[in-house]
Amino acid sequence: MVGDGGFLVEEFINAITSQLDRVQDSLRVKAVNRPLTYALKDLTLELKVFVDMDAQGNVRFRTSGPNESGSSVVHLGFTTITKPMIEENTISLATTRSASLEDLGLGPEDRQKLERVGVRNLAQLNRLGSSTGVQTIARLSDVSFDRLKQAIAMGRPQVHAVQPEPPPKPRPIPQAPPKAGPVFTPSRGPVFSPQQPPVIRVAPGVTKLNLRGANLMGEDGPASVRLNNRLLAVSEADNDQLAVHLPEQFESGALEVSLPDGNKVTYELSVMDGDQWAPNGDMS
Amino acid sequence: MWTPLADTLLQLVESMVAPAGTGLTVTEAYLEIPLEVQSAMKNGEVVFYGIPPHSRWKAGVLPEVHMSRMRIELTGEA
Repeated sequence: MVGDGGFLVEEFINAITSQLDRVQDSLRVKAVNRPLTYALKDLTLELKVFVDMDAQGNVRFRTSGPNESGSSVVHLGFTTITKPMIEENTISLATTRSASLEDLGLGPEDRQKLERVGVRNLAQLNRLGSSTGVQTIARLSDVSFDRLKQAIAMGRPQVHAVQPEPPPKPRPIPQAPPKAGPVFTPSRGPVFSPQQPPVIRVAPGVTKLNLRGANLMGEDGPASVRLNNRLLAVSEADNDQLAVHLPEQFESGALEVSLPDGNKVTYELSVMDGDQWAPNGDMS
Repeated sequence: MWTPLADTLLQLVESMVAPAGTGLTVTEAYLEIPLEVQSAMKNGEVVFYGIPPHSRWKAGVLPEVHMSRMRIELTGEA
């Protein structure tokens, strides 16, 4: 709100919508104990408002007060729509859960410039970037190309850790036996070791894997996880974490995480045999 | 006394009931109601208030009157 009592158009409309939702909810509750059910189908308001623009370039409405002349008339029409209509006309929930422009380190001015070209979060920035190119977004929005590249890089999906649930008990550190006699240490020559995927050790009874990372929610949904090319069902998904169900009888193999930007991260899932974590490293 | 718009609209919907014993049922109603409206911040949110006009007469001290139109329908028997 600004000093003269004006509100952003979005806030203004949300306030009315919220009141209409309350009406519909109340009517629905009343219908439980009543033989007839009414619904408010349409509402049109001819609002006399003063339209202002603040220093940030946002349009604000203020309802006309007593004895004020020269107000504008805004016709707002509200109607009831069905769930499929909502889905057709709104962005997906996954998109709204994507990292915000603020999370990408963009300042208020850059955020506002991007919002004017319809970009409010990382998913929308990536979608527009893949169809028109970052250079075009930079030109249209007047945000510097380097700044956009930096923001996109910051918003790149990443997996920081994969943990089974429940996590395995910490392995006891074996005591080194006392040294007896001289020890011969061969000199180490050059060793070639091909890059191995990180190993995730999982006990046989584990039912879930928890992935922690960043920007794991894409426009088309969360990152997908496959074990031995078998897609694992997602139980919880958020921008910074993902939980997937493991099948009942799972085996060791490649665990592949397909990130929303198309990149893949591979781990080796290793199912532990027997009770490896028994005291004293008893493997029996 | 300002009332949230939702409460005023609910009262209007409630009023669309045929007198008891007449055997009539209101199936649809179209209302054109002048409202005095006001928006204000309450608990960090914008709340929209709407009440019928204080008076049928115009006076400089009274809030501006805005026209509202609404359609109320019988949506089915519970």
